[in-house]
Amino acid sequence: MTQAIDTTIYAAVSEAIQGEAQRILSAGEVTAIVGYATARRKGSAQPIVITNADDAQKLIFTPACVNNLAVYLTKAKKEIPKQGKIGIVVKGCDLKALAGLMGESQLKREQLYLIGVPCAGVLASTIQPDTQLTADTIAPKCTECDAHLPQGCDFVPAQTPVTPELEKKYAAEIARLEALTPKERWAYWKEQFSKCIKCYACRQVCPFCFCEQCLCDRNKPQMVDTTPRPAGNTAWHIVRAMHLAGRCAGCAECERVCPMDIPLNLLNRKMAKELKELYDYEAGFQVNENGPLNSYTEKDDQSFIK
Amino acid sequence: MQKHITQQNLNTLLDTLIKEGKRVVAPRLNAGTPLYEPLTSSAEMITDQLPKRSGKEAFFPLCEDIMSYEKEGQQIKLTDIDPARFPETVLVGVRPCDAAAIPVLDAVFSWDYKDEFFLERRNKTTVVGVACTTADDACFCTAVGLSPSDTKGSDLFLTPLEGGGYHCETQSEKGEALINSHQELFSEPNGSKTVPLARPQTEKFDLEKVKKWLDEHFEDPAWDSIATRCVGCGACAFVCPACHCFDIVDEGTEKSGKRRKNWDACGFWKFTHHASGHNPRDGQPKRYRNRIMHKFKYYDDKFGQTLCTGCGRCIRLCPVGIDIAQIVEELNKK
Repeated sequence: MTQAIDTTIYAAVSEAIQGEAQRILSAGEVTAIVGYATARRKGSAQPIVITNADDAQKLIFTPACVNNLAVYLTKAKKEIPKQGKIGIVVKGCDLKALAGLMGESQLKREQLYLIGVPCAGVLASTIQPDTQLTADTIAPKCTECDAHLPQGCDFVPAQTPVTPELEKKYAAEIARLEALTPKERWAYWKEQFSKCIKCYACRQVCPFCFCEQCLCDRNKPQMVDTTPRPAGNTAWHIVRAMHLAGRCAGCAECERVCPMDIPLNLLNRKMAKELKELYDYEAGFQVNENGPLNSYTEKDDQSFIK
Repeated sequence: MQKHITQQNLNTLLDTLIKEGKRVVAPRLNAGTPLYEPLTSSAEMITDQLPKRSGKEAFFPLCEDIMSYEKEGQQIKLTDIDPARFPETVLVGVRPCDAAAIPVLDAVFSWDYKDEFFLERRNKTTVVGVACTTADDACFCTAVGLSPSDTKGSDLFLTPLEGGGYHCETQSEKGEALINSHQELFSEPNGSKTVPLARPQTEKFDLEKVKKWLDEHFEDPAWDSIATRCVGCGACAFVCPACHCFDIVDEGTEKSGKRRKNWDACGFWKFTHHASGHNPRDGQPKRYRNRIMHKFKYYDDKFGQTLCTGCGRCIRLCPVGIDIAQIVEELNKK
């Protein structure tokens, strides 16, 4: 039988979020809050920005609250009000992205009011939103989560999530790919990249893709072929993976939104694994201004110099 | 003309067409993802999933070469693509929401400029639609005036029957020609009941009323609330059976290369970025407004048709849950 995952705390969590949102908007502590609200489809949720305390009751937290809302605070997405302090509802995985953005001087802690979510997990992208959360329907990233309870937030509801040990989906898949020959591995990625349609959903939802003009949108010179063909697709996904190495905090939004089901987070997880081995670096809740690939120490691995 | 075909004979038909050298495009799995793609055998066809991308790419591929160039010394040689070489195609297993988009696209591709790439493929393709038996709560074909049994865009229309096989109804000469070319595989209708068809749970939109609101509200605060959360990717346009914008780029070296046409999307910042640096659609609400306007106003103004068939793909796949059915429903109430 499939292991069910207990999400009964989410009702109380939602209520606590509403109460806090109501309080900080009424008190004028924040000008806006980015959170989740119910959407039309049964069980579904969507990002919402509220600026009025009366709208606080719209905020929810359910297994369908999949988005990493940190993306709305980045330079590339400018529609969120820029004046004053902004409140944001964050799961632990999302908070790691915010910590990364602070480390890269994109956000200041004092500009944010962090509402942390005690999270037992959210649904995989392929699952209908009204489905019960189980070991089968949970998002792959949640099977490896070490951030169920965000730390360093301004407010976290008191509930404690029940988090059973689950089979680590990425670790298993990375191990499988690592065991292949380079030729087999290349064949695997060639097939996956062949599905890419260059919709750039992976880029647009990534909190770390905050370049105001992406290299791939430049045409003087044209660095990366824009057509959805093998050369341009492969170049794009390798550029993306490398640019995120040592930065990606594992929210897996790229993979969740890919309309062609390309397992993009595998690339990110593999990069994270390399960074752990080479620099003993892992994305966490701490703001780190000296990212592993932004700084140099004499202890750094030199083996690539031949 | 009305006929009956068994599942086995349908498979034989597809395999025979493939052997005859025709391109048979149908839903199949590509690395686990359902897509309309050329089959090498009827066994690859799947019928239980709506492909992630629509059937439009049988006529309007994601990317295609439209010309090639070679430079030698001062000589430049340009070579056109010859559309006459496009293969005869049978597009099979097309859901009504995908089939209905094809005649909608005919209007724009044969308007002031005849797009020979689209039209040649269109002329050479026989569309075999199939009635739809599964709908989820993102489906809204019935809201835009279509239905799970709508034959629009199909040359031959199949309806699945209880106990297997399909009822076949020709919708055009092409459909009749397909049956006539392999008559032995078809029999007379046997009176079997059709399996229950899908029943999307959305109410019909008053599209005239929606258009009237759009006619008068290019500027409106509603656009901000609708699309503030849009993150500006092209997923909605790329999975849409009716979106048809494309970009043209040259790829290659100074010596040789290709001119290519590939899908573009109005959600992209770059879509309206001028060479001067100015961008008249300087935010996602303005870009998303264009999406709605194009589908429910501009295309109607120009061609008297709606540029949406209610397939629900953009709703299922939007990274931030933008729901076009809900948006139009709300505009319908204004």
